Amino acid sequence: MNKKLIFIAVSFLWIAVAVGLIISKQHIIRTGKTILLETVPVDPRDFLRGDYVILRYKISTIDLQQIQSEKSYYGQGEKVYVKLEPKERFWEAIAVKTKKPVSDNGVYIKAKAKYCYNKKLELNYGIESYFVPEGEGKDIEKNMRGNKSSVEVEILVDTSGNALIKKVFAQ
Amino acid sequence: MMYLGIISSLLWWAVIIFVIVKLASGSRKKHYSWLQRELPLWEEKNIVNKEQGDAVLSLYKLKRVTARKKMDMVKVLTLIGVIFVGLGVIFFVGSNWQRIPSHIRTIMLLAITITTLYEGYFFSYEKEGFVNLGKSLLLLASLFWGGTIALIGQIYNIPTSENWYIMLLWAFPIVPIAILFKNDYVHILASVLFVIWNFLYGSDNNIANYYYPSIVFLLMLPTAKNLILSRRINIIGLLSASLYCCFNKYEWLALLISAGLLVGYLAQKEERAYLYAACLSFIFWDITYFTVRQLQPNLYFLLPLGFMLYLTYRDNIEKNLVFCLAGLMIGINLALSSVSQIVNYPFNGLQFTIFQLLLGLSIYSVGIASRNREYLFPVIYKIIGYLVTFICVYLLAFKALLGEWGGAANNVYLFGSLILAGIIALLVVDERRSGNFNNKSSLIELAALVVALVGSIILLVSPRTVLLNTITMNSVLVVFALSSIFLGVELKKPPIFTLGIVLFALFIITRYIDVTWALKEKSLFFIVGGLVILFLGTFLEKQRRKIIERMKPE
Repeated sequence: MNKKLIFIAVSFLWIAVAVGLIISKQHIIRTGKTILLETVPVDPRDFLRGDYVILRYKISTIDLQQIQSEKSYYGQGEKVYVKLEPKERFWEAIAVKTKKPVSDNGVYIKAKAKYCYNKKLELNYGIESYFVPEGEGKDIEKNMRGNKSSVEVEILVDTSGNALIKKVFAQ
Repeated sequence: MMYLGIISSLLWWAVIIFVIVKLASGSRKKHYSWLQRELPLWEEKNIVNKEQGDAVLSLYKLKRVTARKKMDMVKVLTLIGVIFVGLGVIFFVGSNWQRIPSHIRTIMLLAITITTLYEGYFFSYEKEGFVNLGKSLLLLASLFWGGTIALIGQIYNIPTSENWYIMLLWAFPIVPIAILFKNDYVHILASVLFVIWNFLYGSDNNIANYYYPSIVFLLMLPTAKNLILSRRINIIGLLSASLYCCFNKYEWLALLISAGLLVGYLAQKEERAYLYAACLSFIFWDITYFTVRQLQPNLYFLLPLGFMLYLTYRDNIEKNLVFCLAGLMIGINLALSSVSQIVNYPFNGLQFTIFQLLLGLSIYSVGIASRNREYLFPVIYKIIGYLVTFICVYLLAFKALLGEWGGAANNVYLFGSLILAGIIALLVVDERRSGNFNNKSSLIELAALVVALVGSIILLVSPRTVLLNTITMNSVLVVFALSSIFLGVELKKPPIFTLGIVLFALFIITRYIDVTWALKEKSLFFIVGGLVILFLGTFLEKQRRKIIERMKPE
């Protein structure tokens, strides 16, 4: 095979993958609705991407006895949609569904079940890591000590339920 | 006390295993590889001609080795430089330096990556005489590509729980470079990235990853036919994926990987790692099968095991017999464990250990039969059989263990043991009838075997007579040590003789600790123990040297 052609094809592939990844995230930024969430975090390091803050949200744990849910148990790795509604300052979970209803115009965020125990559902939304410049994670961490975290996170949620962190406020 | 006895003798165990392994192959192999290295030199100096060289090699069943290519210093330095720069960029991304806006950083890094890719292509194919530089630059471009993807992931805060996704986006797009540009460095990098991806995928999604073996079997291994390192990384990756199945109950995935590895071996016989990995992988499959359905003994396991044993004999692969025997022992035990659960018999440590002892003796007996009939691998059977038997006898010689391990009987293991004892007896009788125990050395061997067999039967039929059983097993241990010593002298084989001495010393030390550890005066225990070891050690070593000296041909 012509080596020049291989070079050109690989270059295009790499650019396409990079641009595709960027576009998929930009789509959320362009079309997403801004939402404010409450957190609880810690500060580790990713081997590829440096320091980051693990964010845990109030909506990361859902009490299936208190919130309207289609099922009483969700298996590990199961995909769910959580309906969010604003309550005072923050948005909170009000329902858990296995599919996003087409007719409902409300805000649904996509999540993956981590585990479900005693009717308490632990969820991952794909917005649990926030990358920060080296060493700065500690400053944010300071604001998270004690019983209540003062860190607030603004996220964007698009119509398909994909979410992205927009801003982290450490007061 | 008893645990201390076991722990204190672990060191001795290491010595025994070392001696046994050495006995089988170690030192001989060293001489062989020396011969393989030296022979070309003798031919070069006209001491022997090529035909004579070939004759010497065929005498020892050795292959001619070609001299290894000398490492090209420039090539190594370029490679190290490339890896440093590549890692530097990834760490730079990790530092999340924010003085340049993120989109400009991304464009810059992507531009550098594509430029490096172009340079790699240019020096490899357009400009003559810089092939190695071109190859290294292609590796650098692949590392930069990883940096680019990590940077985008960082900018958009893709969570670490989705690192598998980042790894896949790094690995897949560099595969065309590895395959179409035939770049071994990138092939190795992609193989390693796929291994990491498999584990991240498994832990983040908690589902069996069928994509990984598919990619490796269909893409990476067929293109790594001449790349030994990359091929082995992929084989190890598959084996680790199969092991991972044991903990996650992915029985079909383990079976798929095992079958694939077996096909790999049939397609490329010169790569024995395929067969070793297939054998181990089938064992992992059997374990997974047991964890998934404990009440169904896995009789299907006999099929691949039998086939693997057939291949081991057909292709004369000594090492694989070790894996096959391990598979056989694990398979039998898992099956018996399943049957025990079905008929509701509890676990009984004593009967379990006696069963292993008899398994070891059976394997040893097969070794004797193989030697007498001049079949393959008698030594391997004997070493494995000896090791297993000895470990069991050693454990059963602890009075405290014998007392603790009693409890409710497990008739499944009891019947299993009786069947094994019957098989051993039949084998021995058959050998005796064929007149194969006609010299002194084989009679010593036979005596030790019969003593061990009788000892285990005593324990089987009377499990509650702890004192009698302790005496029986200690006697078997002493018989083992003495028979090794006599056998070593008789066959004039110093390693076997040394093994006997080591076993004897081990026996004395263990029993000393066993008996005296309960004493309140610990200082006395150490002082007397130390002195005994010193004197005994010196005495035994002196005697050993004297006798070994006598064994040497005049």
